[in-house]
Amino acid sequence: MEKEILEEGLNHNRRKFLSRLSLGVGSLALGSLLVPDLFSGKAEAEEAMMKALPHFAPKAKRVIYLFQNGAPSQLESFDYKPLLNKRMGEELPESIRGTQRLTGMTAGQSSFPLVGSHYKFDQYGESRAWISEVFPHTAGIVDDICIVKSMHTDAINHDPALTFFQTGAQVGNRPSMGSWLSYGLGSENSNLPAFSVLLSRGRGNGQGVYSKLWSNGFLDATHQGVQFSNSEDPVLYLKDPESMSRSERRKMIDQIAEMNNLSMQQFNDPEISAKVKQYEMAYRMQTAVPEMTDISKEPESIIKLYGPDCLVPGTYAANCLLARKLSESGVRFVQLYHQGWDQHGNLPNEMRLQAEDVDQASAALITDLKQRGLLDETLVIWGGEFGRTNYCQGKILVDNYGRDHHPRAFSIWMAGGGVKSGMVYGETDEFGYNITENPVHVHDFQATVLHLMGIDHERMTYKHLGRRYRLTDVSGKVVKDLIA
Amino acid sequence: MFKISSIRSILESTLFVWIGLTLIITLAGNSLVLPDWLQVVGRSHPILLHFPIVLLLMGLLFFWIPGIDKKPEIREIGEISFLAGCNFAGITVLAGLILAQEEYTGEILTWHKWGGLVVFGGCVLLYFFRAIQANIIRLSSVALAIAIIATGHWGAGLTHGEDFLLAPIQSNEIEVIPLAEAEIFGDVVQPILQAKCISCHKEGKIKGELRMDHIEGLQKGGKSGPFVLAGDFEKSLLIQRINLPEDDKKHMPPKNKAQLTEEELLILSEWVASGASFEQKLVTLPAKNELYQLASVKFEGNKIYSFDAADKEDIQELNTSYRSIQALFPESPALDVSYFGISAFPPKSLSDLKIVKDQIVRFSLNKMPLAGVDLKFLKDFKHLEELQLNFTDLNADQMKVISELNTLEVLAISGNTVDQASIQNLAKMKSLKKLYLWETAMSSQDQETIKKALPETVIDFGFDGKGIIYDLNSPIISQAEMIYQDSLEIKLSHPIKTAEIRYTLDGTEPDSTSSTIYTKPIFVTNTGKVIAKAFAKDWNGSKPTESVFMHSGIKPSEFSLVYEPNSKYKASGPATLFDLEKADASNHGQKWLGFQDEPMVLEVDFKGLSKAKEISLSLLYNEAAHIFPPEKVSVQGLENGTWKTLASNSPAVSTKALSARSELLTLELENTNYDKLKITLTPLAHLPKWHQNPGDKAWVFVDEVIFNQ
Repeated sequence: MEKEILEEGLNHNRRKFLSRLSLGVGSLALGSLLVPDLFSGKAEAEEAMMKALPHFAPKAKRVIYLFQNGAPSQLESFDYKPLLNKRMGEELPESIRGTQRLTGMTAGQSSFPLVGSHYKFDQYGESRAWISEVFPHTAGIVDDICIVKSMHTDAINHDPALTFFQTGAQVGNRPSMGSWLSYGLGSENSNLPAFSVLLSRGRGNGQGVYSKLWSNGFLDATHQGVQFSNSEDPVLYLKDPESMSRSERRKMIDQIAEMNNLSMQQFNDPEISAKVKQYEMAYRMQTAVPEMTDISKEPESIIKLYGPDCLVPGTYAANCLLARKLSESGVRFVQLYHQGWDQHGNLPNEMRLQAEDVDQASAALITDLKQRGLLDETLVIWGGEFGRTNYCQGKILVDNYGRDHHPRAFSIWMAGGGVKSGMVYGETDEFGYNITENPVHVHDFQATVLHLMGIDHERMTYKHLGRRYRLTDVSGKVVKDLIA
Repeated sequence: MFKISSIRSILESTLFVWIGLTLIITLAGNSLVLPDWLQVVGRSHPILLHFPIVLLLMGLLFFWIPGIDKKPEIREIGEISFLAGCNFAGITVLAGLILAQEEYTGEILTWHKWGGLVVFGGCVLLYFFRAIQANIIRLSSVALAIAIIATGHWGAGLTHGEDFLLAPIQSNEIEVIPLAEAEIFGDVVQPILQAKCISCHKEGKIKGELRMDHIEGLQKGGKSGPFVLAGDFEKSLLIQRINLPEDDKKHMPPKNKAQLTEEELLILSEWVASGASFEQKLVTLPAKNELYQLASVKFEGNKIYSFDAADKEDIQELNTSYRSIQALFPESPALDVSYFGISAFPPKSLSDLKIVKDQIVRFSLNKMPLAGVDLKFLKDFKHLEELQLNFTDLNADQMKVISELNTLEVLAISGNTVDQASIQNLAKMKSLKKLYLWETAMSSQDQETIKKALPETVIDFGFDGKGIIYDLNSPIISQAEMIYQDSLEIKLSHPIKTAEIRYTLDGTEPDSTSSTIYTKPIFVTNTGKVIAKAFAKDWNGSKPTESVFMHSGIKPSEFSLVYEPNSKYKASGPATLFDLEKADASNHGQKWLGFQDEPMVLEVDFKGLSKAKEISLSLLYNEAAHIFPPEKVSVQGLENGTWKTLASNSPAVSTKALSARSELLTLELENTNYDKLKITLTPLAHLPKWHQNPGDKAWVFVDEVIFNQ
């Protein structure tokens, strides 16, 4: 209670301070610095911007982002480099490495021996794309996806790189991509959050994911990602306590809203109305979520499609199935994270296990969306935060090696939602180290995703602390070659 | 030393020099031929102009100081400042008049020029008549201040462009142009010229005699030649100039001004290459054309609908928590309608859509229970193109209604049973571009029939899973604890209800015929391991899954470690070994004790309260992380002051790196008559040759030590 009294006092002081300040002409300038929207009619300007969204007819209505956290090796998945097998153990030429900085994990290494893929590669589909043997199901849908082999990023460590991919900045105070889309386009289905998050963990060396990755940043709290857990309560704290009826709950929410509206009038803090909206949403989610997570009505072919793991809550396969159900129900952005792709050592062993966990379900998601006629309006993205080095971390053994972080070139794939299908985009050099053709920066990727959703990345902005922010920061261009 | 009064008289006389020169240049106008060095004076106009503005405004302020007449020394400061301002005004006006000869023309220039002259004349008059009635002076000073500001504003308009000052607060809404209507010049090229060129090539400032603010100017070209010649890069000055190196004097836009981006360069070049037309529409270019590809992204291939938009309020009203109605994009009259939420679906609400029946082009009712709902209303949706009815329990009559919707291009009826009559009906839907028929219970023969009937349609029958046999997933073992004291209940389950679970408790792998079938929870009272596998029809048996359970019978009264564990892996010290909490194998950082340089030597004392017969050690193995079985495990008992070895063991080392796992190592004691026991785990001194770091020291990780009688 003491804290509240103190805060109340501070609020009054702040008001007094501001009202005194407003006497001086200087306070106008100061005021506009402190409250950037003081003179710009924020509400109206923002409203006008929101009305203009989407900027044009969207190709995709929804996104499912299958984030492979830890950075899967491109050299054991989609970027086939036979030269590395031929020159196994030879030193990475200086001319190729150039000025690339290294992580602390291999910077002290005296030699950088090239290492080729432990797995065999083959060409698939009409696009004749090279795919490694540990992704047989992905190979089966290769003509429905677009593999981008020329991704590059600015960061070299997991957390900044992940944050960069999600928010457009390496420091974690900006809204996530899903929050931006929730802000820009809202939810299709008002009974479910526009931005949902699902986590799973593989059997390889893992890296953490933190809630800042699905944070709303400076946007309204209603745009925060809602995490679905694998426990009995998929969304925590959603159930009514025992013996509380629906109507009692309704009454309670109405009365809380009344009180909140009173303090809204007093303090005019937008977070208060966000809170009211969240209570409302949670009330509606009480019926919508159980409908969503019930997989008992799925036909058996679905179980076979995603693999039996999809029946085990918390697995990647179960999350893919849930992602399809959420997306189909109008959730704008479903963000999956699958941990365990950080193969600094023991790569041949661990990467196979990781691929086993994700390959079938990822491919299944594409097939499943397609057979419902939903793939055309749903954009699916598969990929990690950076790539892995073409040289070995530690010593090369006959069947064991590891790879360090590599931000200069890596592969992801996209499917549906207006992306060209059956295409391989971009190229890297024979060493798989540098991009030689059509580089796609993380900001370009983000601009393209927004474009597919009908948004001009340069025009969807939010003014905060005196400047306008956007997902793509101050760069990024739409990669039109990727768009169907 | 000059006195103030002599400075004043010099300044007063120079004023007349400026007046004279100004009159000459103003009156003689363009007939004068100015020497080159004067151009330098002219070009210093933008620097000079700051002096008169500041000095004059400052001088003017002094007229307003109350009681200034009684303070001659303060009045003096004001007057001198004003006089200096007048002089600078004269010089600035002269420089401006010279600069105006260069390349400036137009309305703003006229305003600026005459504004400057008025200011100069006005300030001279005000200076010499400063002694007259204070009110008149003050009134004139306001008028002069306004004239100064206005002149300055026009001048700024000449250099920075007309809207420079107020641009940041003017609305910058961009009109979205549909691709079908976009013009190459008007919508692609001109915006670039507008942003990067026009500020110097427009009415009022026609550099190089080139006006770019209207098409005639562009067609006419400039002093050095034609602006563009269709398809001719050599002779098109636009292309020449923008491609010169940035340091070249003729490079455009000039150095220090906003440069063209790579994309803009490309667009301009491609425009010239494609004929430099001023009227052509973008869509008339072939799709492969570089310019088309570059520019088409800026506009959207939005389909244009000719029907009228529905009332915005109606649309808003129709949006409910179970129904979403949205325009395809903000300006489009076409609507996309989706229903969500099975439990909240009122079939009656479908009739609400009557008021937007002409506007609905996409309609999704996926998963809504439509059994018995009359779908005839769909026939009123004149512009319906896409209909999604997956999993909606449609019957043949409803399918018949759907098959008569002849505007449909996309139809998804996956998850509904399609019978023979419906196949015949669907076969008539020639307008369909895409048809989704997954999970429709159609035979392969039916599929062929419909494929033949609709050769132009992309039909997706989806994945049926027939003939594919997968491995079942492993059963799930659930037990309240790993380490228990009395008895433990172990439950086995499998997400597929029909799966059969078989298990063993003796450490062997279960098989599909002889191993025990799980029917009810298992109760155990010892230390051991349960291994389970699942089997089901149409599936391969699962991989085995296992879980250890440890019975903890007795606890020593005292225990201590001879050597501390490694400081990075010390958990909660020796107490960790007896906390009855099994640590997670995937996280060796927190609850495991790690030893590398020193062996683990644990001394325990039962103080005669109980006798240990069996010792179980819970160990972590993770070869890739250098965590190996101990080289040697030994148990010693204290007998008459000396330690006597009671049991020892050298566990087998894996020949390759396996994933992180927890193993139980059990030793039996033959003689139980010892109160004090010493357990020693010696880490492997050299990692095996196959390891990535052969020869290094291995680690031993322990999390529990359990004694049983």
